[in-house]
Amino acid sequence: MIEVRGLTKRYGDVVAVDDLTFDVRPGLVTGFLGPNGAGKSTTMRMVLGLDRPSAGQALVGGREMATVAEPLKHVGALLDPGAVHPGRSGRDHLRVAARTAGLSSRRVDEVLELVGLGKAARRRVKGYSLGMRQRLGIATALLADPAVLMFDEPVNGLDLDGVRWVRGLLRRLADDGRTVLYSSHLMSEVQQTADRLVIIGRGRLIADATTEEVLRGLGGAQVRVRVPDTERLFLALRQRDRQVRRLDDGALEVQAPRVEVGELAHALGLPVHELTEVGQSLEDAFVELTGSSVEFHGGAQPLAAAASEGAS
Amino acid sequence: MTTTTDVGPPHAEVSSARVLARTCAAEWTRLWTVRATWLFLVAGAVVMVGIAAAAGSGAASDPEAAGDPAWVAAEFTTLPGQFAFLALALTLVTSDYATGGIVPTLQWTTRRTVLLVARSIVAVTVATAAAVLLALAAVLTALTASRGVLVLPADGAGVLATVALVVAAGSLLGVGLGFLLRSTAGVLVSVFLVMLVLPIMLPNLPLEWGDDVARLLPGTGAVHLLVGEIDGMTTSSSVSVLLVWASAALLLGWLRLVRTDANT
Repeated sequence: MIEVRGLTKRYGDVVAVDDLTFDVRPGLVTGFLGPNGAGKSTTMRMVLGLDRPSAGQALVGGREMATVAEPLKHVGALLDPGAVHPGRSGRDHLRVAARTAGLSSRRVDEVLELVGLGKAARRRVKGYSLGMRQRLGIATALLADPAVLMFDEPVNGLDLDGVRWVRGLLRRLADDGRTVLYSSHLMSEVQQTADRLVIIGRGRLIADATTEEVLRGLGGAQVRVRVPDTERLFLALRQRDRQVRRLDDGALEVQAPRVEVGELAHALGLPVHELTEVGQSLEDAFVELTGSSVEFHGGAQPLAAAASEGAS
Repeated sequence: MTTTTDVGPPHAEVSSARVLARTCAAEWTRLWTVRATWLFLVAGAVVMVGIAAAAGSGAASDPEAAGDPAWVAAEFTTLPGQFAFLALALTLVTSDYATGGIVPTLQWTTRRTVLLVARSIVAVTVATAAAVLLALAAVLTALTASRGVLVLPADGAGVLATVALVVAAGSLLGVGLGFLLRSTAGVLVSVFLVMLVLPIMLPNLPLEWGDDVARLLPGTGAVHLLVGEIDGMTTSSSVSVLLVWASAALLLGWLRLVRTDANT
């Protein structure tokens, strides 16, 4: 269990994390979602006791990590996979970690095998690919068998096999009853794996719900349909409390499954000229949700404004 | 991961003494699993034994050197050689910041005071032990190279204690500055300035206060203890100035470590 309570982090005037409150529950995979710069890593760092909150607190299993005797046994975390001394071997890196938790070198070899680094264990990290460093970081997180795990963008740099392996691992860890929080800036990535989603933008909480709820709340499936008598279908869909929008080209955009729209048109005796899924729209919905919260917009508008100012 | 069903937090909190012991063990492993440590020790050995060999063979052909104690080799070789040991100690701290490794380090040991104490113990112990052993090696090298001209009176062994004190204080200064400044280059430059450059330079500048300031620097204390009398310095003032600098650096380093974010 991770409990985040009114967590806030300010750097001078910049508020990186703004009064965040949420729980991450055991037995589930929780996706921590937000655009780059939303404050995901900063939040994780505060949970781990690496950075001090400006206000609020974060508890892991009811404890603040900054004061516990054996932090590795409470929470395992992968933050930046590059943050490793390049001159040390992967195995030696883990041996240092193991010693802080009073664990044997046998456990080190176990987790190295588990993440598939057994053969590269005695090579220096300098020669590791990003994917291998990710695996080393995951091995470190698993080392002391903690009840809570946090991974910051764990599939970055992994090939397809690696991505599937990580997804399977997250699932198994949650099925063991562990608390699993992992961050991503890609909706399409977390929707594959996460049971729950915590979505933040500009350091603020945007959504904290099951993946299902978020998807439904965001509109779910959208289809584009074209029939000769648009008005009849429009009204029929409205009667079913479906959101319908008239498009300029005479088609309708409906938030409903394709089958339902097709069957309704059939029931009305309307020939269907077009019935297309307009994308699952999760990505769009995510952008819609976090759009106002994206810290670094493209420069188009400001540039245009600057240009017109320059002209006048 | 496969066999675990119990996924609760640890049942009983281990004692602080055990946490410190484990952190020391981890720092010990951390120190010996990078090449830099070995390179610094080899550098220290080459400098100290090399100078001792040259001095010893010089004495062999110098009639005036007859009966001089070989122990002095421990002292004059430590003066340049100490920088290898200080570098060993300070890079144990700064390489963690340079590589970003401080982030996992502070995840594994969240009690930062424990980390500072463990790292200081390991760095200072290793640097000091290496300095004393190599100083002894330098003495024996000089003795052998002098072909009987130099002697080894038993009561001269106290110089090894002086070497230990100077290197322990210097490496503690390096560790403290490491946690304070976090940059290898910054700490190396600072250590060279206060241990070597300023103590030599200041008294030779046409400044009224040059000597006074130089007497407050740890390098002046080290030189006084190792190789010779410096006007206005005593054994106790030398020891004090070394210990005050080491303690102050450690205190400031500790404040930065416990009060600020891991690596920002």
